[in-house]
Amino acid sequence: MSEKALTDTFPTGFAVSLHNVTKSFIQWQRDNSGKGILRNLIKPEKKVILALSDVTFDIRQGEFVAYAGPNGAGKSTTLKLLSGMLLPTSGEISVLSMSPQKQRRELMSRLGVLFGNRTELWWDHPVIQSFEWKKVVWNIPESVYRRNLEMVTELLDIGGLLKTFARELSLGQRMRADLAMMLLHSPEIILLDEPTLGLDVVAKRQTIEFLKKINREDGVTIIVTSHDMDDLEEMAQRILMISGGKIAYDGDFDGLRGITGNLTRVVVTTENGFVPKLKNAALLSSENGVHEFEIDLAKTSIKALMRLLSEFDGVCDVEIKKAPIEQVIASVYSSWK
Amino acid sequence: MADKITFTRVIKLLGISAKMDLAWFLRDTKYALAIIGADIVSNLSVVSAVFLISARFGGIGGMSVDEVLFMMAYSTLITGIFVMFGSHNNIHISRIIGRGQLEHLFIQPLPINVQLATCSFSPFTGGSNFFVGVVLMIIAERRLGLQVSFGWVLSLAVYLFITMVVIVARSYLVSSLAFYAPVAMEEISYTAVEGTWLLSTFPLSGMPPFVQIPLLTVLPEGLMAWFPSLCLLGRPPLGLSVYYPALYVIILLPITSYIFKRGLSYYVRKGSNRYVPYGFRR
Repeated sequence: MSEKALTDTFPTGFAVSLHNVTKSFIQWQRDNSGKGILRNLIKPEKKVILALSDVTFDIRQGEFVAYAGPNGAGKSTTLKLLSGMLLPTSGEISVLSMSPQKQRRELMSRLGVLFGNRTELWWDHPVIQSFEWKKVVWNIPESVYRRNLEMVTELLDIGGLLKTFARELSLGQRMRADLAMMLLHSPEIILLDEPTLGLDVVAKRQTIEFLKKINREDGVTIIVTSHDMDDLEEMAQRILMISGGKIAYDGDFDGLRGITGNLTRVVVTTENGFVPKLKNAALLSSENGVHEFEIDLAKTSIKALMRLLSEFDGVCDVEIKKAPIEQVIASVYSSWK
Repeated sequence: MADKITFTRVIKLLGISAKMDLAWFLRDTKYALAIIGADIVSNLSVVSAVFLISARFGGIGGMSVDEVLFMMAYSTLITGIFVMFGSHNNIHISRIIGRGQLEHLFIQPLPINVQLATCSFSPFTGGSNFFVGVVLMIIAERRLGLQVSFGWVLSLAVYLFITMVVIVARSYLVSSLAFYAPVAMEEISYTAVEGTWLLSTFPLSGMPPFVQIPLLTVLPEGLMAWFPSLCLLGRPPLGLSVYYPALYVIILLPITSYIFKRGLSYYVRKGSNRYVPYGFRR
């Protein structure tokens, strides 16, 4: 691997730029056998893990980008690099035309970071106390703090939580309070690692709607990772998929469907338990006269499909819908193995 | 551009920590008082044991009963400052490093050292030992008939500061190991600093030099209370200068700084795949 010089910063017009970024880790290998233990004492075995390999991408200001990939693909590593928690092995990183490593303090006053499995709230204090602590530490002007507090209280519906101790919040409430706290200093970019992890349907909806709103109305650039692909599709306009430390796909969700063969779901409702036979289609389920097929529109056009269905007697209803993105992604992940 | 770290900014940061400490004290007053009481009893037990021995035998190793009391007062003041500024693991930093919690500090727009120096200021729940130390110091000073001038009080403040620097530097020096072995070294600071705390309250006067010298160099327990107390009483031991503690700090600080920064650099290059929320922002 070639070691490229790390530069202080390279000003770009983009919110986020990664150029040829590589990040490797060393993993110690342990052998439980007696011989292995002795060998480890003398010469421990090491394995180099390439978390990111020559990754390049740009994100424009105001974009809402989903960052997806299987477990261990390098998603959290990327977010840690962008927020200055880790140094790249080589390559250049620019966030708001600043180097996350060399200009950490300046950047942190304009960046918001939230890891879904961690909290920035003070455990043994009411939520509002954590907010006031943030106001002092981030040196947020009183007027900005008041305006943002009012905004997040209303949009995230946390008015009833402000006096509650962080330790007494449910997971969904805690996530909303953490999101609110992250936005108090008006960050221009926010990095979210699994923000919907473990949330129930209601909490998830509130979080997604809120993120869409601040992206649409305030132009906040958002980069979000999640394993819930339906959530990602609903939130983001663009998806960056990473696999084995490399960017495997960069584009919109429809384009992603295209690379897996334009799979589509067709639900046909029939009378008298009749099951129609469709060419190039797989029957996924059949219950009470409702039959779901998976069909590749690259092989069978909509026109041909409709003509075929019209030839059957007893067809009452036809519904055509996109294949769930979860299935598309699963198919993509499988093809990478 | 990041805002400048001015004196006013530091005071504001200490202020918010103090405000949160007061809020906690007033919200859970019963429990806070129980903790404060237990803290005072625990610390007084340690210093009383040494004081009672000296009272029984009319002093220890050439130090009179009142001089021992003076040393115990100094030790209590140090404990008080330690508790007041270091109750959130910011002094026992191996816990923060080992638990992967440094990343919480990286996302704040403040220098790490400013965060660590101000994040756990707790004058209300942690100030009790300092207050007891002040009372003990006044009693000892009266019994010894010391001429307390502004210069002497300033010397006391400087020695207290130096002792705190030795404690913090020692903790950060051993805590650097946690960058490389987070799980194994998570408690190294507590073990190294608190594990030898009892030794620091023992008057070393009368001990042979082969015991005193290591305790003033390799394992600097003698600098925690014994040596500074004798300097303030005007008779530094072993023929050493009253400036010895300052010299020790001048040597220790750059070594600690170098080793800690190397560890930190290793951490941001290699990262930590361990994260335990326990004990952080409580």
